[in-house]
Amino acid sequence: MSGYIRDAKTGEDLIGATVSVKELLGKGTGTNAYGFYSLTLPSGQYQITSQYMGYEPQVQQIDLTAPRKIDFLLTSQDNALGEVVVTSQRKNDNITKLEMGVQKLDTKDIKNIPVLFGEKDVLKTIQLLPGIKSAGEGNSGFNVRGGAVDQNLILLDEATVYNASHLMGFFSVFNSDAIKDISVYKGNEPAEYGGRLSSALDIKMNDGNDKKFSVNGGIGLISSRLTVEGPIVKDRGSFIVSARRTYADLFLKLSKDTTLNSAQLYFYDVNAKANYKIDSKNRIFLSGYFGKDVLGLSNTFGINWGNSTATLRWNHLFSDRLFSNTSLIYSNYTYRININNGVELNIISRIQDYSLKQDFQLFAGTNNTIKFGFNSINHKIIPGVITSSSIVDLKTLTNKFVWENAFYISHQHTFSDKFSVEYGARLSIFSSLGPGNFYTYDSIGNPKDTTYYKAGQFVKTYANIEPRITLNYILNQQNSVKASYARNVQNLHLISNSTSGNPTDLWIPSSNNVKPEIADQVSLGYYRNFNNNMYEFSAEIYYKYLQNQIDYKNGAELNFNENVESQILFGSGRAYGLELFLKKKYGRFNGWISYDLSRTERKFDAINNGSYYPARQDRTHDISIVGMYELSKHWSLSATWVYNTGNAVTFPSGKYEVDGKTVMLYTERNASRMPSYHRLDIGATWIVKKTLKFESSWTFSLYNAYGQENAYTITFQNNPDDLTKTQAIQTTLFKFVPSFSYNFKF
Amino acid sequence: MRKNRTILIAVVAVIGFLTSCQKVIQLDLSTTSPQLVIQGDIYDEPGPYAVKISKTIDFDKPNIYPPVTNATVTITDNTGKVDNLSQAADGTYVTSTLQGVIGRTYTLTVTIDGKTYTAISTMPEAVNIDTIYSKKSFFGNDKVIVLDFVNPPTKENYYQVVHLVNGKQIPGFSVFDNNSNLVEKVSFSFMTTNITPELVAGDIIDVWLERIDKGVFEYFRTANRNGGRSTSPANPVSNISNGALGYFSACSVRKKTFTYK
Repeated sequence: MSGYIRDAKTGEDLIGATVSVKELLGKGTGTNAYGFYSLTLPSGQYQITSQYMGYEPQVQQIDLTAPRKIDFLLTSQDNALGEVVVTSQRKNDNITKLEMGVQKLDTKDIKNIPVLFGEKDVLKTIQLLPGIKSAGEGNSGFNVRGGAVDQNLILLDEATVYNASHLMGFFSVFNSDAIKDISVYKGNEPAEYGGRLSSALDIKMNDGNDKKFSVNGGIGLISSRLTVEGPIVKDRGSFIVSARRTYADLFLKLSKDTTLNSAQLYFYDVNAKANYKIDSKNRIFLSGYFGKDVLGLSNTFGINWGNSTATLRWNHLFSDRLFSNTSLIYSNYTYRININNGVELNIISRIQDYSLKQDFQLFAGTNNTIKFGFNSINHKIIPGVITSSSIVDLKTLTNKFVWENAFYISHQHTFSDKFSVEYGARLSIFSSLGPGNFYTYDSIGNPKDTTYYKAGQFVKTYANIEPRITLNYILNQQNSVKASYARNVQNLHLISNSTSGNPTDLWIPSSNNVKPEIADQVSLGYYRNFNNNMYEFSAEIYYKYLQNQIDYKNGAELNFNENVESQILFGSGRAYGLELFLKKKYGRFNGWISYDLSRTERKFDAINNGSYYPARQDRTHDISIVGMYELSKHWSLSATWVYNTGNAVTFPSGKYEVDGKTVMLYTERNASRMPSYHRLDIGATWIVKKTLKFESSWTFSLYNAYGQENAYTITFQNNPDDLTKTQAIQTTLFKFVPSFSYNFKF
Repeated sequence: MRKNRTILIAVVAVIGFLTSCQKVIQLDLSTTSPQLVIQGDIYDEPGPYAVKISKTIDFDKPNIYPPVTNATVTITDNTGKVDNLSQAADGTYVTSTLQGVIGRTYTLTVTIDGKTYTAISTMPEAVNIDTIYSKKSFFGNDKVIVLDFVNPPTKENYYQVVHLVNGKQIPGFSVFDNNSNLVEKVSFSFMTTNITPELVAGDIIDVWLERIDKGVFEYFRTANRNGGRSTSPANPVSNISNGALGYFSACSVRKKTFTYK
């Protein structure tokens, strides 16, 4: 039997919904990313149950004599406030599923968790989960299991998003109204994902309601948003368009400073998606994202940056057992700088991908699923082009051309109702191509040789095999243990030496000088559910060894440097830790506690005499507590509290004077610590009206509710009041940031 | 292109306008044994020239840097001239006969407690300042001081700008190169912030345009990399051997004075 599982009200595909067979305990399967499932059973009569988190389970009695198509339409429990649906069968997916190191986020959780400026944010919310750490105050960058920020593969409907930040990271590019499903794989992703060392964040956009038109939106303190969705042809196709715009610069008008009050500072983004079912075997999807940040200072300086992505997908069923998806993907990240200081200068930099991706899923019998496919990507990186109306002969950096191919196969096999395994491998082939000059460098970083390669000529090719395996042993319906090993290879590297990440940070490909980064991770986990699956507990430990890691020479010149590869140092690293997670999944009060104990270190010959030192993102303790409570039919409350050890930093260990200026003396890299960080955020939602036709609500939040002065930066300087002394200055960004927004849906 | 910091400053300023605050904090910083700091400058102007030698101190101590008084200091040039420097004040060693000449290469040798530190610097061709004026900054209401000069058509040009307000040198490491784009006419502007009291009309500003060699440029360039947001602050790359901090520079200098308006 095979078919689709969908939402009865909107027609949205349900990803990861399950079907189980009453007569055959332990037999069952889940839907793939397109809501499709296939289950092979011997002929007979069965009672099949389809379930999905937050939906009423559905039971169908079927008589299976020949292959049959059976679709399930599940009804959302519709989280009508105060009403708690008690189902006798609660899901224990976390116990039985053959995956570990995965965090899935319910979009309903995102909507309830209080955030900075009240802007619901996927990337801020995942930072509350075990193993995923914020890269800094208000930063949408994140570190997974000791990895760097650029070691996360961020996919929006399969398209790579190269810069997931708006406004320097205070917001992420993902509009939560447009998002259906979020999964984070923490280093042991299945073989179909590849290209980054630490994690894969797979974000899928809503398909749109194919039953009826609906509009929802919100008006907030600094941003507004609007989503329109509806059928193209009822039950066969739908569309969704979701847009938002911030107007932070309105606040700047209040400033007396003429530079600030005439400044531009805003971003907008648009998500759009359409799908159409051609027949029962073919379906097409077209989705896209476009976003832009604009920052301008009174016509003399301007910068804008943004991502755009587009994905065209074709789902095809070759048979009830062979599912195919073909995708054509486009992705682009561009920044432009305009300077008009008498002489006009324009700078453009870009990374652009064209990609073809083919995935097959073969449901080969009851106990076997095989996935295989390939992905071919053409990358073009324009590190920087300067143009000017008045100056000719400006320096331009050499463009980089890359052809990246990957082939993968994985086999999921169930040995018994207790023991299952998924193993596979990914072959990644990365080729750096001409045209352009390629350099080799001497020991101090001066260019030694220059070789010119013609267009399409292969400069350097790296081929790597990445084995992956996950084992699951179910002790009983409440307990399981899992183990996994995975190798990941990364061939695109983000060059950034700033603590907060800049829109102008540069992606460089592996080349004759830059080797692929490699990570090997082993992990072991224990999963336990309590109280009829009301509580979910997990403990995972991991050890990761990293090769060809990147750091920078002292005083490295990373901006607009043709020889940026000469400024890089290569070394190794290791990361290990324990992650504990306890979640209460149901009830008026729900939420979770997450705790990490971890260490992440790097080793470079030229840094700290070649001994292991803590990476910047090393934090011994990291705790997140999230609670949500439904007070009444109209009011619900939420709160989060986070605590973490401060990042490793390099503070001076002395000072001296040169040319009348005080200069700090540094001895060891990352030998000091920022002060530890903690913060409470609270939020409330007031549902004013909720009927079938119209819903409206207010959300209120208070970020940093007890006004903790957390250190954003610490700088060292002469005391301006007494030049014979020096002092350390701590900058705190956000103390008590209140916000509210009005939301509606009809 | 150093626009990154400008952008970041702008955004942090804007966001900061909404919420941020600063305070002085006490940190328990690590300490290290005192290290040697050497600073020497030779110009194409008549001497004497000074070499200052001192030691580093812990961060929480007052800014009084212990002078090194037992050093033997000599400077030689590539024509064989040797000048043995004498100590004029504690830790300040001065030349007696040496005259800086454009194109010559100078070697500084400092010997302390049997350990020898050397540095080499070549004095580049001088570049004249054409004009100096002030104008409104494109970034804020402050004024910037601009100096126009013609960049010679040589491959490697490195500059340092030093300025004095009413005869008092303003500390700062203002260096730039002109290798990215060989622009013939250069307008270099710099801010006059962080000085107290603020500039007023009638202030006399002396500007020195120094042409420095690559090693000295690298010293000041890397010294400027250690802003508050760098993830890897480190000691500047010195042109002095044996782990001494500081620099030794033979540079040509051209000066111009104007009255601030």
